[in-house]
Amino acid sequence: MRTWVSRDGLSTLVFLLPLLVIFGVFSWFPIGRALVMSFQETNLVSPPTWVGLNNFANVLSDPLFGTAVSNTLYFMLLALIFGYPIPLLLAVVMSEARHFKGLYSALAYLPVVIPPVVSVLLWRFFYDASPNGVFNTMLGWVGLGPFPWLQDPGTAMPSIVLEATWAAAGGTVIIYLAALLSVPTELYDAAEVDGASIWNKIWHVTLPHLRGILFITLILQFIATAQLFTEPFLFTGGGPANSTTTVLLLIYHYAFQNSLGGDYGMAAALSVMLAAFLGVFTAVYFWLTRSWSTSS
Amino acid sequence: MMSRLAKRRRRRAPDVERRIVSIADWHRPAIRRTLRTIHGVTLAFLFVVGLGPLLWLAKSAITPTQDTLRTPMALWPHGFDLSFLVTAWTETHIDHYFMNTVWIVVGCWLVQITVATSAAYALSVLRPRFGSLIMALVLATLFVPSIVLLVPLYLTVVNVPFLNISMIDTFWAVWLPAGASAFNIVIMKRFFDSLPREIFEAARVDGAGPFRLFWSIVLPMSRPIVGVVSVFAVIGEWKDYLWPLLVLRNPDLQPLSVRLPTLEPSTQLDIFLAALLISSVIPIALFLIFQRMFLRGSGLSGAIKG
Amino acid sequence: MTPSPIGRFKTLAVVALAIVTVSACSSSSTPSSTAASAGTPAPNTTQAAATPTPGTTPKPVTITVASLLPGSTQSAFDAFNLRVDEFEAQYPWITVQGQEYQWLATTFTAQLAAGTLPDVFTIPFTDGKGLIAQQQIVNIDSRVRALPDADQFNPNLLVNGQDSSGKIFAVPTAAYGMSLTYNRTLFTQAGLDPDKPPTTWDDVRADAKTIAEKDKVAGFAQMATQNTGGWQLSTLTYALGGRMESVGSDGKVTATVNNPYTIAALQWLQQLRWTDNSMGSTFDYNWGTINQAFCAGQIGMFLGGSDLYTTMIQNDNLNPADYGITTVPLASVPTAALMGGGTLAAVNVNTTEAQRDAAVDWINYYYLDDMTNQNDAVENAKALQANKQPVGVPALPIFTKAIYDQDQTWIASYINVPTAQMAPFMNSIFSQPLDSEPVASTQTLYSLLDPVVQAVLTNKNANITSLLNAANTQVQTAIDKGE
Repeated sequence: MRTWVSRDGLSTLVFLLPLLVIFGVFSWFPIGRALVMSFQETNLVSPPTWVGLNNFANVLSDPLFGTAVSNTLYFMLLALIFGYPIPLLLAVVMSEARHFKGLYSALAYLPVVIPPVVSVLLWRFFYDASPNGVFNTMLGWVGLGPFPWLQDPGTAMPSIVLEATWAAAGGTVIIYLAALLSVPTELYDAAEVDGASIWNKIWHVTLPHLRGILFITLILQFIATAQLFTEPFLFTGGGPANSTTTVLLLIYHYAFQNSLGGDYGMAAALSVMLAAFLGVFTAVYFWLTRSWSTSS
Repeated sequence: MMSRLAKRRRRRAPDVERRIVSIADWHRPAIRRTLRTIHGVTLAFLFVVGLGPLLWLAKSAITPTQDTLRTPMALWPHGFDLSFLVTAWTETHIDHYFMNTVWIVVGCWLVQITVATSAAYALSVLRPRFGSLIMALVLATLFVPSIVLLVPLYLTVVNVPFLNISMIDTFWAVWLPAGASAFNIVIMKRFFDSLPREIFEAARVDGAGPFRLFWSIVLPMSRPIVGVVSVFAVIGEWKDYLWPLLVLRNPDLQPLSVRLPTLEPSTQLDIFLAALLISSVIPIALFLIFQRMFLRGSGLSGAIKG
Repeated sequence: MTPSPIGRFKTLAVVALAIVTVSACSSSSTPSSTAASAGTPAPNTTQAAATPTPGTTPKPVTITVASLLPGSTQSAFDAFNLRVDEFEAQYPWITVQGQEYQWLATTFTAQLAAGTLPDVFTIPFTDGKGLIAQQQIVNIDSRVRALPDADQFNPNLLVNGQDSSGKIFAVPTAAYGMSLTYNRTLFTQAGLDPDKPPTTWDDVRADAKTIAEKDKVAGFAQMATQNTGGWQLSTLTYALGGRMESVGSDGKVTATVNNPYTIAALQWLQQLRWTDNSMGSTFDYNWGTINQAFCAGQIGMFLGGSDLYTTMIQNDNLNPADYGITTVPLASVPTAALMGGGTLAAVNVNTTEAQRDAAVDWINYYYLDDMTNQNDAVENAKALQANKQPVGVPALPIFTKAIYDQDQTWIASYINVPTAQMAPFMNSIFSQPLDSEPVASTQTLYSLLDPVVQAVLTNKNANITSLLNAANTQVQTAIDKGE
């Protein structure tokens, strides 16, 4: 093998070239640049100057920073409450279905294929806070509401998470469904010999078997929700009164929302801080998936 | 009677594979009734949640603005009008932005597949001396959340290093960065690693060079993994919003996702909803046609990620 | 940055050519050619004679220019293209490519950084000085001063596009005073007289309450996102007598957003929102969406520029019968004033000298000529009228009042907007004291006040004083940092 390769070193290089060029220019270089920029003051007009830790200090002293961090954590928590148990429950029920199996998955997955921008714009209309709004009309039939939805600092974030969950749950359901189908039926047979009820089987056979995948989707969800941008950006732009300003929105705000030129240094500093935080989750994720893939 | 039973048995046949509930339990009427109810409720819930918003959108896309605003849940109190769909297609130029979306997705897919297959082939089959170092560098990018790249990548695209050109307002600005997906390379390489070495050896003995080996042997064998990567690439790019928003400022080049929010404040509601409907019909149609591939891809993603 | 003498010479030549073309045009197509030449100021004639252009056609040049807002109707684009054709006929060596454009505080920077702005683009008065300081727009002083009516600009408006030494970098193209825009149909339905719109803030509140109760829509609506919340709050503050910034004798700017008038303005909003419940249920309007909601009949009154009629016709399917405007009520204190602003046209730094020449020609043709040149005014009015675009929308004069009045008489017979419905505004706008927007860090100030307005509108227990105090500190920081 080795001799063959060294003879064709040039062709190896040809095959590696796309990777080296694309990663070099669009991944490795920008990552390095982000680190450099976080210690610089730069607005693309005047040449960048080194400012030490000033950008980090500015971010930390920005009153919006605390708001954004707590909003993001709140978002993650809500996403967990809304988006974690429901797909699991659906997947368990769907795995037991004897008819229309395809229909279940198709219906559950449908929201996933709708472009997120379309979903958000549509749901923003559903969330119309007047009594004539779509949701308020429906809730009015059962004597509830009208609710302010996106127009109230208290309900704006849950409204966003509700839509985000609707849009993403289908994918999670399908992943769980695949995992459920991989549970060996012999395990259930064996449990039945011991006289296990349906609940017992779910509790003692199904869930332990899903433990790995559940933990992985949990971490993936954490990483994904911390980086969610489209939904809060298009639903509220961070309002009302900064109640939905997430860390990502703040980064965007620093970099792009001042009409006289962005503060790219502060944006980079906050990005690096977020990356360090998420890096912990990512590391755990890889450590876990590696141990899983080697053990199974 | 007999034939009906037989038919029923036949229809059941593929479902005999049991899951949590045993076949014996299925035969107990109480359990079966409960399960049937649960399944009925679930199916109804999925109908309302999964299909409901789309049905509402379809209704409202042909309802005059005032009706949609005043009585959003009424079925055509003042008739319906299909012309909104036509207006959305012709005057709002949804067709144009849809084609932009398609071009962006196709280009990104091509770049991703090219980079992933060639890199995985080089790293897994050709195994150059610095292969493990390169792989480590690729893996390292997995630890960096994509958001960190937003600003520096934007500035890179504004002024590409060494070339000193700007890719802003060209599709290249979306296509090329899409190729830097470590996830693709990892799963592609893992698949190539699992291919039997003997085949490569045999091909080499038969006088196949590295290019022939790649094109005629490795690529055909890796069709399943290429399918999975393709599904992710297509779905991912279809959904992208922030990046094309930043780099495609020229309205003529923008995909639907970027264009729709811009149009919203200046488009009549009925026409805008019609535009939303058209924008979702096409991906839904694609999904229904390639349903199996989508669902298998998603399921596999769990398996692979797991 | 300063143009070379050659560039300057070319501009003169261009102006000369343009005038020749125009008069040739007018003498052949319109019978009132004498009136046309009478309307042309004398110095131009001598200029035209002084710089003959013996067959030297300039090299072909292409410029991109801001055209219309995204989503404008096809007929609006048709009217625009017609004007492009006309321009290209007058300047055969210039090719003009329209690029739809909207200045938004939230997207402008990205376009600026990426260099994707058109060669000619517009910015609000508030950003002129900042962009000049950052050298993001071109010094077009000599080119503009060569224009026929350069000395006729209203100096108070021109100053927004000048640097500290008076060099012109951007040209005012439109100026607006805020108006109280109201829906006449909703007024009538609520039993109010649409010809007697409110004249005090108490009247506005009372009428808003009536409309909310009778029509079941928002009686008074307020923008609150994309910097518009701070913009509108400033308008209210000015009208009550307050200012958002004070400039010391040493030129140092102090933030005063927590002044008693702003507090009063927010309390007034608080009463409409929480005591009367007359502001509807949408509190995240921006400039585009509030126009849309108004045209859909969901809003009784709101504060908007007096020139909104054009946008509403082009983008929002306005029923002209609904539309009414009146002046913003001013409190009876000496400092009460109408806050006004406007638009500057500027030239992208990434242009060649020839493109800059062409750009100024375009600015003159597209934005200015129809106010100062009878023939162009009439031709433009005709073209607009033919494409069912509004003619005669109220705006503030960017040249002297005399030129403005003259222009109004030129286009009088083409006016197709419901002037009677605009009479309450037109009758008293020129007697209102006008004051410009806050001078330092204006857009940042606005953006920091957005959340304050949102808080008052969405949180019943919002503490106005502490919100404003916090905002004031941040505004002061921004001013000190020069952001």
